[in-house]
Amino acid sequence: MASSGCLVSEQKPNGFDFDLCKRNAWLEKQGLQTLKPWSTGTTICGVVYKDGVVLGADTRSTAGETVADKNCEKIHYMAPNIYCCGAGTAADTENVTGMISSQLELHRFRTNRESRVVTSLTLLKSHLFRYQGYISAALVLGGVDCKGPHLFTVFPHGSTDALPFCTMGSGSLNAMAVYESGYKEDMSKAEAMELTKRAIRAGIFNDLGSGSNVDLCVITSEGAEYLRNVDMPNPRTFTAVPKPFARGTTPVLKSKELRVPSLESRVTIESQEGDVATAMDTT
Amino acid sequence: MAESAYSFSLTTFSPSGKLVQIEHALNAVNQGATSLGIKARDGVVIATEKKLPSVLVDKDSVKKIVQLTPEIGVIYSGMGPDSRILVRKARKAAQTYFMTYNERIPVAQLVREVATVMQEFTQSGGVRPFGVSLLIAGYDSHGPQLYQADPSGTFFAWKASAIGKNMTDAKEFLEKRYAEDMLLEDAIGAALLTLKEGFEGAMDEDNIEVGIVGKDHEFRCLSKSEIKDYLEEIL
Amino acid sequence: MSISTYNGAAIIAMSGKDCVAIGCDLRLGIQNQTLATDFKKVYKIHDRLYLGLAGLATDALTLNQRFQFKHNMYKLREERNMKPATFAHMVSKTLYEKRFGPYFVEPVIAGIDDDGTPYITGMDSLGAMETSKDFMVAGTAPNSLWGVCESFYRPNLGADDLFETISQCLLSGVDRDALSGWGAVVYVIAKDKSFVRTLKGRMD
Repeated sequence: MASSGCLVSEQKPNGFDFDLCKRNAWLEKQGLQTLKPWSTGTTICGVVYKDGVVLGADTRSTAGETVADKNCEKIHYMAPNIYCCGAGTAADTENVTGMISSQLELHRFRTNRESRVVTSLTLLKSHLFRYQGYISAALVLGGVDCKGPHLFTVFPHGSTDALPFCTMGSGSLNAMAVYESGYKEDMSKAEAMELTKRAIRAGIFNDLGSGSNVDLCVITSEGAEYLRNVDMPNPRTFTAVPKPFARGTTPVLKSKELRVPSLESRVTIESQEGDVATAMDTT
Repeated sequence: MAESAYSFSLTTFSPSGKLVQIEHALNAVNQGATSLGIKARDGVVIATEKKLPSVLVDKDSVKKIVQLTPEIGVIYSGMGPDSRILVRKARKAAQTYFMTYNERIPVAQLVREVATVMQEFTQSGGVRPFGVSLLIAGYDSHGPQLYQADPSGTFFAWKASAIGKNMTDAKEFLEKRYAEDMLLEDAIGAALLTLKEGFEGAMDEDNIEVGIVGKDHEFRCLSKSEIKDYLEEIL
Repeated sequence: MSISTYNGAAIIAMSGKDCVAIGCDLRLGIQNQTLATDFKKVYKIHDRLYLGLAGLATDALTLNQRFQFKHNMYKLREERNMKPATFAHMVSKTLYEKRFGPYFVEPVIAGIDDDGTPYITGMDSLGAMETSKDFMVAGTAPNSLWGVCESFYRPNLGADDLFETISQCLLSGVDRDALSGWGAVVYVIAKDKSFVRTLKGRMD
């Protein structure tokens, strides 16, 4: 059956598009270095406690040595009862969790049941394994389902571990040191949150790939509580607000008023002004 | 190649310019259980009767109203198995849209996607048209929406509509009952009253299904006890 | 030599009170040879949404065409303009499709929503988004651009003040970058007005 509608025809059916690979390899052979993707150096971790799971993450994303984002979100939604922290190439963690979350929603509609954590684990690991580690996503997956609370780590190659507490990313050792010394079985929610907060702070302060704030996500059988920036240990130390520049400071060569943007979202289709039209002007 | 060259479309124009297969498909719809939908000012309700072939069937295993996205639901009249194909394709289209734009698909767009599939099955080789009409209800940024899609691939937005066996009577009834400033609560009552017209036997919470979507943009089916309460209220 | 420094670029987007601004330098070079000084790297999507593409110029031009196409198709289909956030996700998705053979661009997107809320986002070449409340930069001198923005930016500026701030940041940001500069252009979009200004910069 032919594919239907413009929606579908506009995009590749699914999977990746390798069109530019040959060209890019050639460019590299010419001695041009390729771009560095953003990565989330990252400290992420999770711990199982009495009634559920606590996930934690820092909020720094880096491009090489430059901080690309001071307050990014690394705890991704998978299902109402499942969340997933991501470390590695930012684009990979974002997309791999988004894709699996979409598959989980389809699966929920089809089965009329809550998603299980192992289902998302299996979908994630089989996707990552298929790409042999080239999709660099290191994940901490946590959730609560009909079988109780679950916590897993997923490595970029597709191997997984089920653990009562775990850490990932460049700050994993810092966080693990805190977990190893402070973990107890059957902790209360407050204890688990405090321990996770401390683990992430260890990463923020001791690992250069991690920084800024602490995000937490607490999942119980009642549902998930996404706590964005629960801890902000790195506020700006210099609070002076710069004075605005006097108007007219910047030397302007040309100024043109543009059409006042209509706040109406509906549009009527019209011909495009600009380049195309002037190029066709033959006078 | 050799095979496809001989697989003619079942839908070939008759000399008078009709596509008889599509009309036959509509007949299949008209034999199906009655379904109806009403768009209120603050939501949409869709309802259908759930007639089972035998008392031995496990009632709870049959679900006629299904969800396509968190804010859109659908009900069919006609052939159940055919509707499942459309539901599967619609859900996938909705997910594709969400993955591309990170925004839930507008009802009109989803309806167009489904209707495109239905149209394809009137023009492709080796297939037959779908034996279902759909009522698609949702609530998006343009407000509450009710659409009907037919086997030919035609679709329209409606204030209220009915499909299936008692379509004509039900539509007449809806025309009388419908009011522009109706609220969802009134619409649910009106939907049940309309369904009751021409219902064979006693109508209760076991042999009908009702789906609603309100201002919270969450489509859901009413539970049996909720349906029971509404029925007691109107009867 | 890196692909990102082959042509040279500097782009900044900034948000103000119910307004956004996006600006770029005007140089197009091939490594150290300057070819043109009127090469705009910011493209209009619609009246309230602009897209800046830094990186390899050939890829930027191709991508702009693809996005214009996609936005036109969307407009025909849905009879509305894309919201800035919707457009940004579409861009991100398009880039990630080429995860293993990427376009060498870093997009910056600036626009205002139906209610005038500013929206600013930047991406890497694989489509990892960073939605920012204040400002976003891309190009061959990101560190000096980040630096000036961090110190000159203040929140809730009106359209005219925002123009001065972004212009000052852009001009001083490219002053220490050999690969970008040669004048700049700044677009400002507010609820009630919109304008574009060409800035006088160093021509060396």
